[in-house]
Amino acid sequence: MTQPLNGRRILVVEDESLVAMLLETILEDMECIPVGPASNIDDGEAMARDTVDLDAALLDVNVAGRQVFPVAEALKARGVPFVFSTGYGEGGLPEEWRGAITIQKPFTEAAVRDALMKVMGVAQV
Amino acid sequence: MKPGASVVDLAAAFEASPNPYLLLTPDLRIAEVNQAYVEVTGARREEILGRPLFTTFDAGPGEDAPENVRQVRASLEKARDTRQRDHLAVVRYAMPRKLSDGQEVFEERIWSATHTPLLNAEGDVVLLLQHTIDITDLWPAIRPDEPTTALDALVGGSVLRRAQSVQEDNRRLESERNRLVEMFMQAPGFVAILTGRNHCFQMHNDAYSQLIGHRDIAGKSIRDALPELVGQGYYEFLDTVFETGEPYEGRESLAKLQRTPGGPLETLYLNFIYQPIRDEAGAVVGIFVQGHDVTANVLATQRQKLMIDELNHRVKNTLATVQSIAIQTARSHIDPATFAATFQSRILALSHTHDLLTRTHWEGADLRAILEHETEAFGPTRINLNGPATALPPATALSLGMIFHELATNAAKYGALSTPDGRVLIDWSLADQRDRKLKLVWREIGGPKVTQPDRRGFGSRLIERNIRHDLAGEIDLVYASDGLIAELTVPLDRTPAP
Repeated sequence: MTQPLNGRRILVVEDESLVAMLLETILEDMECIPVGPASNIDDGEAMARDTVDLDAALLDVNVAGRQVFPVAEALKARGVPFVFSTGYGEGGLPEEWRGAITIQKPFTEAAVRDALMKVMGVAQV
Repeated sequence: MKPGASVVDLAAAFEASPNPYLLLTPDLRIAEVNQAYVEVTGARREEILGRPLFTTFDAGPGEDAPENVRQVRASLEKARDTRQRDHLAVVRYAMPRKLSDGQEVFEERIWSATHTPLLNAEGDVVLLLQHTIDITDLWPAIRPDEPTTALDALVGGSVLRRAQSVQEDNRRLESERNRLVEMFMQAPGFVAILTGRNHCFQMHNDAYSQLIGHRDIAGKSIRDALPELVGQGYYEFLDTVFETGEPYEGRESLAKLQRTPGGPLETLYLNFIYQPIRDEAGAVVGIFVQGHDVTANVLATQRQKLMIDELNHRVKNTLATVQSIAIQTARSHIDPATFAATFQSRILALSHTHDLLTRTHWEGADLRAILEHETEAFGPTRINLNGPATALPPATALSLGMIFHELATNAAKYGALSTPDGRVLIDWSLADQRDRKLKLVWREIGGPKVTQPDRRGFGSRLIERNIRHDLAGEIDLVYASDGLIAELTVPLDRTPAP
């Protein structure tokens, strides 16, 4: 059976390689194509701007001591939807990003898939 | 001569008055006395002029003398300091009297005194006028041996007693007021009384002075006294309290105040109340300000919240890391027993590095200590550690701890540590003192012949990803025929992103 997110290219911004590897494993199981992962904000911003095909992104909020919002801005500017991943939950987001789709660490495959489908507007099957 | 001025010689009138008069300088020295005063005291004018009043007339050796002196002095000082006339309806004050044989005795006398400040054009007190009446004869109690008439008892007794009782009430009220003022001044919280619609400082206590850096604010309006508060809302709160008569309470209210002359604005958090003060008709005439500086509490709460957030972040990240290890380990271990052993050893490696970091309050960990822990199971003869003492930052320590664990596990399974004679030589050095780089070589010798694995397992993926992704370092895994060589370079002084 084909996965609903088959072939989607998903940017991953996450500073911990083990967590990034987990996300890649989850994305690969959903037949997505992981892009990155970017381990810092500068790389993340460059990838968000310059990667030609990008369907969505998973953004760790706290990346090596910096907040991921410049990457989110770059994605927003080109209309690429994204999901925040954080240990703080939605309450940890500053005012202007409240209401953004968020997954909490540690995360399940279902939570990652549901959040990505929601931001990309892909119907549940 | 000025119009309306008297043609009477006032000095002559002063001298001729039957009432005893005494003029004092503000420091309570005798400036002048009139003839009646000389007569009533028996003193010689030229001997007493210029002398301090209370050494000239010290009320004698009587038991009550110090208290009597104190009362007169207090009344004089009050008249001087308040620039208001002060009355002492009844005061005992013994006077010296020379007996016929030349011996001097002190005779108990009772006086009624009025102290009037004389002001110059600037309103400063230049002299104090004491007007005294000897009322000893009107006071029957003092001379019980002398007969008293009914009239004496009426005039002297009851009227004077009432006068004395009023005076005692006043004294008691005065001392209570002083006690209240004292409490006000010493109160641990800050207190101020503002009057009028411009909120002028009428009184403020020591804590208030401290709050505003001991500026001179007495009599000034709040806008003049504390100009840095403009735009912070406080003037407006006071205006509203004055207009509406409704008190205002501020909780953990942020205020920026200048606490040293010419110094920067300091941020404070204050709990306070503005309470309207009303006159008898109920109109608001001022505002009572009372509060506490709660800056330390607010900052402690903020710090605590930051720490809890940071703790939450770290715990959740660590759980995500453990989750990742579990899922990836499960993919390469179908047998639950080997899964459990491998998963557990990975978690324990992570945990041990945490322990090392906790010992230094998460400032760093020593490279050799991490290597020793990961290789101690194989004995010192099979492991050769060679390199300088190297303090690793926490993130680097955690990554290298996992990496060495994977290398050691791999060596024990397939490499040099899988045979009785194999050894591992670990050499490291630090290059570039300014921008320190750790160069470490893990060389396995004496083990089975190795070949490049056809499939990269989780262990080798973890090693490579960790070095490149987390540590921005380089790693080279060489599957030489006589054993694996891992060469890694890790920058140690990566400045954390701002």
